[in-house]
Amino acid sequence: MEDERELAIHPVVQTSVQHNTQAVSNIRNLTASLFGVAAGTLGLESYPGFIFYLVGTLIVSLLLFVFRAEGKPSAYFHRPLGDLWGGEVFGGLSGFVLTWTLFYGLVRA
Amino acid sequence: MAQPVVQTIHRDPALFWWILLPITVVMILTGILRHYAMTLLQTTPKKQPLATIRQQRSLVRGITFRQHANVLSPSSFQARKAYFVEAYKEGKFLADPENRGKPRPNPMTDPAAMEGMMGMMKGNMAMMIPQTLIMGWINAFFSGFVIMKLPFPLTPQFKSMLQSGVGTRELDVRWVSSLSWYFLTLFGLQPVYNFILGSNNSASQATQQMAQANPGAGMMGPEQDPDKLFLSEAENLEVMEHRWILDGVEDRLLAQFAF
Repeated sequence: MEDERELAIHPVVQTSVQHNTQAVSNIRNLTASLFGVAAGTLGLESYPGFIFYLVGTLIVSLLLFVFRAEGKPSAYFHRPLGDLWGGEVFGGLSGFVLTWTLFYGLVRA
Repeated sequence: MAQPVVQTIHRDPALFWWILLPITVVMILTGILRHYAMTLLQTTPKKQPLATIRQQRSLVRGITFRQHANVLSPSSFQARKAYFVEAYKEGKFLADPENRGKPRPNPMTDPAAMEGMMGMMKGNMAMMIPQTLIMGWINAFFSGFVIMKLPFPLTPQFKSMLQSGVGTRELDVRWVSSLSWYFLTLFGLQPVYNFILGSNNSASQATQQMAQANPGAGMMGPEQDPDKLFLSEAENLEVMEHRWILDGVEDRLLAQFAF
C-alpha cells in the first residue's frame, strides 16, 4: 500500500522508461559488435571469447553506471539491478557472435 | 601433452569477395526492403462512423479516468464517477442501442475482422518469401564451399546442417559452409537494422512477432460485446478506491524541507 502511494506521488512514465531501455539496448548492441571485432582480431576461441564478451558487458555496465546514470541509477531506472546491470546482457550476443566469426574468419583462419 | 592435430584448410581469398560479402550485403538490403515493403503494405485504418468511435473513445475515457483518478479532488471524482456509472449502465454511448443484449455476429463474416487477419497474413508472407528465396539462392549458387571457421566448437550434430553440400566426413564441425553464414547474419543483423532504420523498424522477425502479439492493444476487439464491456467498467468504477494524491501534502512538503 505504501509502495502504491509512493508510485502515485512519483509516477513512472512509460515513455521515459522505454526511451531509457532503448538507449541501453543501443549502447549494448553497438559495443557488443565492437567486442566481436576485438575478439575476432585477437583470435580468441570458444570459452575465452565468451568470457571476453561477459567482461566487456560488465565494463559497459560500469561505464553506463558512472557516465550515463551519473551514479544514481534509481533516478533513471525503475529497477536498477535488472535494467542497468542485467538488462540486455544477452541481447547483444547474436551481434557479438556475428562480428566475432567474421573477423576471426578474416584474420586467423 | 599431445595436442590434437589442428585441421587447416587453405582457402582462396576470393571466397571472401564472392561469397561472404555478397551474402552479407544481400541480407542487409533484404532487411531494408522488407521494412519499406511492410510500411507500404500497411493498410490505412478504415474511417469509422461517428457512433462507433464515440463508443470506443468513451470506454477508453472511463479506463483512463479509473487509472488516473488519484489526481482528482474527492468532489470532482465523485461527480465524474456518478456520471460515468450512470451513462455506462444506461448504455448512453452504445453505437446501436437497439442491439443491446443480442448475440454478436460471427467474426468470420465481419469484414473488419477479416482485414485484421489479412494484415497478419501479409506480415507472415513478407517474412517467409524472402527467406525461402535467399535460402534457395544460397543453396543454388554457393553450396559446397567451405568458407570459414567458427571460433567456437560445436557438437557433431550440427554437421549435417552447417556443412551441407560438403562431402568430407572427417572435417571438423568448426569449418562451415555458406549456409551457416546466412544463419548467423539472419540472427545477428538486428542491431545493424536498428542503426540504419531506427528502432521501430520491421526488418527482422523479433519485432515482427512482437507487433503481432498485441494488435492494437487497448482497442475494443470486434468480437466483444460493447455493452458487456461498459457494464463491467461501470462495476470497476463503483468498487474502486479513491485516494487523493494531495492528501497530507502539507506534511510531506514540510518533511522535505525539515532537517
